[in-house]
Amino acid sequence: MTFEEKLASQEYDRIWQEYCGFLDLDLEAYMKIQRRLLEEQMKLWCGSPLGQKILKGRMPENIEEFRRMVPLTTYEDYADVLLLKKEEMLPDKPIIWLQTTWEGGKHPIKVAPYTNGMLQTFRNNILTCLMMATSTGRGHFDVGVGDTFLYGLAPLPYVTGLIPLGLSAEFRMEFLPPVEEAVNMTFSERNKRGFKLGLKKGIDFFFGMGSVAYYVSMSVASLSGGGKSGGSSLKKLFSMQPSMALRYLKAKKRCKEENRGLMPKDLFKLKGFLCAGTDNRCYKDDLEELWGIRPVEVFAGTEPSFVGTETWNRNGLYFFPDAGFYEFIPETEMYKSLDDPTYEPSTVCMNEVLPGEVYEIVLTVFKGGAFARYRVGDVYRCLGLSSKEDDSKLPRFEYIDRVPDIIDIAGFTRISENSIRNVIELSGLNVENWVALKEFTADKGRPYLHMYVELSTDSVVNRAVSRELLKEHLTIYFKYVDQDYHDLKRILGMDPLEITIVKCGTFAAYEEACGRKLRHINPSLHEVQELMKVQEREIHRRF
Amino acid sequence: MRSYVFISITALYIYTFLLLAFLSAKKSRLIRDFTVMLGTMILWTGGSLCMRLMAWPSYRFWYHISLAGIGLVPCAFLCFTRDFCGQPIRGSHKLWSILIVAILLYNAATGRILDAPEMVKHGEETAFVYHMTWHVLILYGLCLLVILHAVLMIWRSRRTAGLRVKMEPLLFGILLMYAGNLAIPIFKGFPVDILSGILNAVIMFYTLYSRHIFRMTLLVSRGNCYIIAMAVSALSFYNVAQTMEWMIRRSVPMLAPFSVMIVAIATMMITVIIYGITKAFFDRLFVKEEMSQTERLTEYTALVSQSLRLNEILRELVTVIGDTLHTRKIYVCIKDSDGEYPAVFSSNPLDDRNFSLSASSPLVEWLGMHDSCLLMRDFKRTIEYKSMWEEEKGQLAALRTECFLPLKDGDDLVGLVLLGGKENRHKLRREYTDEDIMFLNSIESVSSIAVKNSRLYEKAYEEARTDELTGLLNRKYFYEVLDEAFEKCRNTSLALVIFNVDDFKLYNQLYGNHEGDRALVHIGQIIRGTVGDNGYCARYNGKEFAAILPGYDIYSAQNLAANIAKQIQQINHGNKESYLKQLTVSCGICAVPYAASSVNELVSNADRAVYHVKRSGKNGIRVYSDGVIGIRDTGVVAEKKHKSMYSEYAPTIYALTAAIDAKDHYTFQHSKNVAYYAEELARELCSSEEYTEILKEAALLHDIGKIGIPETILNKEGRLTDEEYETMKRHVEASVEIIRHLPSMDYVIPAVIGHHERYDGRGYPRRISGKDIPFSARILCIADSFDAIVSKRSYKPGMPVEYALNELERGAGSQFDPELVPVFVELIRNGKIQPVLKNS
Repeated sequence: MTFEEKLASQEYDRIWQEYCGFLDLDLEAYMKIQRRLLEEQMKLWCGSPLGQKILKGRMPENIEEFRRMVPLTTYEDYADVLLLKKEEMLPDKPIIWLQTTWEGGKHPIKVAPYTNGMLQTFRNNILTCLMMATSTGRGHFDVGVGDTFLYGLAPLPYVTGLIPLGLSAEFRMEFLPPVEEAVNMTFSERNKRGFKLGLKKGIDFFFGMGSVAYYVSMSVASLSGGGKSGGSSLKKLFSMQPSMALRYLKAKKRCKEENRGLMPKDLFKLKGFLCAGTDNRCYKDDLEELWGIRPVEVFAGTEPSFVGTETWNRNGLYFFPDAGFYEFIPETEMYKSLDDPTYEPSTVCMNEVLPGEVYEIVLTVFKGGAFARYRVGDVYRCLGLSSKEDDSKLPRFEYIDRVPDIIDIAGFTRISENSIRNVIELSGLNVENWVALKEFTADKGRPYLHMYVELSTDSVVNRAVSRELLKEHLTIYFKYVDQDYHDLKRILGMDPLEITIVKCGTFAAYEEACGRKLRHINPSLHEVQELMKVQEREIHRRF
Repeated sequence: MRSYVFISITALYIYTFLLLAFLSAKKSRLIRDFTVMLGTMILWTGGSLCMRLMAWPSYRFWYHISLAGIGLVPCAFLCFTRDFCGQPIRGSHKLWSILIVAILLYNAATGRILDAPEMVKHGEETAFVYHMTWHVLILYGLCLLVILHAVLMIWRSRRTAGLRVKMEPLLFGILLMYAGNLAIPIFKGFPVDILSGILNAVIMFYTLYSRHIFRMTLLVSRGNCYIIAMAVSALSFYNVAQTMEWMIRRSVPMLAPFSVMIVAIATMMITVIIYGITKAFFDRLFVKEEMSQTERLTEYTALVSQSLRLNEILRELVTVIGDTLHTRKIYVCIKDSDGEYPAVFSSNPLDDRNFSLSASSPLVEWLGMHDSCLLMRDFKRTIEYKSMWEEEKGQLAALRTECFLPLKDGDDLVGLVLLGGKENRHKLRREYTDEDIMFLNSIESVSSIAVKNSRLYEKAYEEARTDELTGLLNRKYFYEVLDEAFEKCRNTSLALVIFNVDDFKLYNQLYGNHEGDRALVHIGQIIRGTVGDNGYCARYNGKEFAAILPGYDIYSAQNLAANIAKQIQQINHGNKESYLKQLTVSCGICAVPYAASSVNELVSNADRAVYHVKRSGKNGIRVYSDGVIGIRDTGVVAEKKHKSMYSEYAPTIYALTAAIDAKDHYTFQHSKNVAYYAEELARELCSSEEYTEILKEAALLHDIGKIGIPETILNKEGRLTDEEYETMKRHVEASVEIIRHLPSMDYVIPAVIGHHERYDGRGYPRRISGKDIPFSARILCIADSFDAIVSKRSYKPGMPVEYALNELERGAGSQFDPELVPVFVELIRNGKIQPVLKNS
């Protein structure tokens, strides 16, 4: 029975119960589903050559043994099997392989297999997200056959490309522009075409990464504004449905009165607005202002697929019980393992998390997925163990960021220590020492990459090394080694690099003063402030 | 006008019929809306008919009734459409009704909207002439708006796929009805509006039926239906009888004298025809299938209530479901003792029943918590389905299961029925309907009780005839089976083999009853597995098993017994982890007609053969025939006499005692002394030579566990601390542990383990008392204590013999066996036992 047939039956309470009923579960029932599906996955994964490779021939008998025997894994542990697509080594036969960027520069891509069971779960969970995005309360949702969906997503082989496929198998939804056209278009063409069609047919759903959605939304005025000649506007008006034409005229009038540009909310009344990715919180307020509806944040990744969604209260996400088995590395343990990569941090399960604590998530993908006890690299904060607003007894989380050793700007890049080292080497600059951290602009809170660079004394004397020059120089190489970084500029028009040149010898002085080295990626703000203080002290000492 | 009166009558007939039928149906919002709609149409048609017939009180009255019907039909239709489309009740819906009622009341009072028609006579015919003004547009315009509102509602719901198919007839019906109203002027006198109203009502009825809003059998009982049919037929023909008679008189004057009779006969015949058509219509279209289900259910109930055999009940269950619902495949899974649900029955014997549903399966859990049957498509939509394994989903998909029927006993799910897809007469796939579900739920309640009873019966039957531990036949049933087999094999042959497990009491003492039970279960499995379907196996006695072998001669029975005995000897052989004693059996065989001529003789001769094996060293097979005629070794070296066994282990025992000697010289000498005293006492008590020998060996080994006690404690001068005493006490268990590693010496263990037990139960390690303490242990206790008193120890000097004897006498009944102490004392006093005092 497809979603469309279910809608036709008009049993809306039942549909809600089917897709969103997990919110009614208590923690015990939730964990029962988790444990049962993990038992299945344990059998499949541990028995597969991939599992045996990681387990080194051991065979756990129960979940406790599984958590004890299987080490926490990263993509490195799977790369030799997955990148060569050795299907015979996997727990189950994959139907499709999805792709994403692994680590800028060093590893171009990583791929993840999706089995039939995973795809079915994906379909259900994306529908849950859709219903949740339109909901105004428990049981109230507004998803209908023929709804229009502004297609602001990356196509296959990226995970977002699965959404139209998954949805179209369940019910008729009109993508703007149609998927078969969209895959052959550039990002900008796709947006223009999507909005043009949206003006004709209206837009019911919009889903994008927070940063991309913001960029797309900002371009609405120019897309819908039309030419200066009255003929073009008239032509546009005639191409619209009467209700849309009326709305367009009203919007124009209102904007003129309020002396502001056209915003999407003037033209479109979204049923549901979904966003995903990193740094959404920087954009949510602006997006709400632009569209008149606050986006519901959903949580997804290439390896784990869709794992959670916010509810109508938009105040924290709930993890789906059937996407993967969730374990959480407490913050202190996470930092210990960052400082000492050989350290095996301990994990807690969903029924052991504490409110207010920060955790790195560890996932075992169900339904024959390849990843077990996999460190996706995302950090969450537990907001509470229940919610009166949502009337739910499940732990609620908020997404914080990527793990501290990765800098992700606006959901586009995955800059690691390796990639920056690579950039510096290629640039040929005599950089003596450096740290890089993600900071946010003071005005709008937008993310950027801030590098504190100490050049060698020799190059300072003999070469032109102004801040601007360094920025230009490094940006070129960042774009060279990292396509995603290039896309930041190309798609979003962002130039996220900021350089601060640190006086020669500052890093050494810091080490002497503090007795420890600075972490290259995302050192704490206090440490960076301390570095600056050390620099000032050095300057005073000299003068 | 009169010639078309039958259309109004037919409409009235249909509306009344449906209204009465639906009044008796189970009410839902939709059904209530439909009855209201029918009511308004009756007002319209009935009012119009009565007006045309100028019925009492006045045609004006009936005109207003008819107009009220016309005005209210759109409102009723709007409510029906609203509920059909699942829309919420809004204030605007009520507002329409209020406005129309207000206008109708205003019109009834003033006649300003559309006044009653003027009655104009044209000869014999009466015509009604309406004087319409533009005011009439207020009423009809309002009605039109209400209808448009309903149409809009339908149109909007069309976007929801699936509902469109059901919506279209509804839309078509309402358009037809109002097209009929608009076409009145075209058809000049023909009541096309009423005809279209009938069609609309029929369409609405069909729409409701297609959505399974009601069940025909519940809606219309046969009697009810036929009485209405007859009554309405009679009423309508009463009205047309005069017209008919008039037509006969005018068209065929020669039949004028018989016109009344012709009308009467025609009326009767047409009534019968209407009756027949109505009956055939409902039977064929709706009721027949439902009635047939009820009849089958009744038959099934009768059949299963007569049987207590599970298989018969399941066969009936599968048959009734298969025949009634035309289900392709049916599997029945019944809960087993492990709580799993293996498939035990299927509609086709060739179906693969090699699957089982786990008790932890979300499906089983769901069915356990609910009492109704579950469609696969519904199950897929539950939260429970989320935790289904892909393998489980694949299994159900492979079985093509579409529906599950639980079989419950209270809260306990005793089984479940898996139903495949349904198909119609043309082998085309069909969905399970609400009627099917109701039928299955009825089947469920009947079947659950039947399955529960049959399971209880079969369990009781099974318990009554089998041994709980081994699952073999019990002694009582063994005799029944033996009698039956004897009768059957009177002219051929019947062999009986009795297996008696050797030294089983010792086995229990050594390893505990739990290990003993495990051994019995294992032996039972071996016997059953080897005999298979060729005979019957029973647990004949505590440690005795029997195999009844119809058609076996003595030679074959011997071979079988040898095979079984060999397997039993292997039970503990490959187990390197433990040092369990080897299990052996003594087998006795007898067979008719060779060595017995009755059941009693057969059993007693087999028993005698067993006795002979026991007497001659156990672990062997003997055949009884006029005395013992055959001895057969099991192929394994027969157990040796204790003497020879001791000599085999003598070096080991010597080495162990020497080790103690090196550590604690007292203990070594003490063991030898105790052996001497115990041997003499046992001999005096007329024990057999063999028993005396066992006791001697036990005495030599009884303190062997002291090898593990630190020398500081063993040789400590002065009193032991509590802690040291506790350590010292552990030497008993340590001795047993050492002896266990010499499986063939294990017969000494009962004596060793009990030699520190006290007769009053305050000893150690097992704190057993009286005669529960093995006899050998009681002897050893006296010998041990006597030597301990008279010998010199590091912590005390040797005491005089008389003192020791007094101590023994003082302790008789508390520490020592009061019957043995006098014997021992007497043996010392009369010099038959010479106390060994060389260390004193």
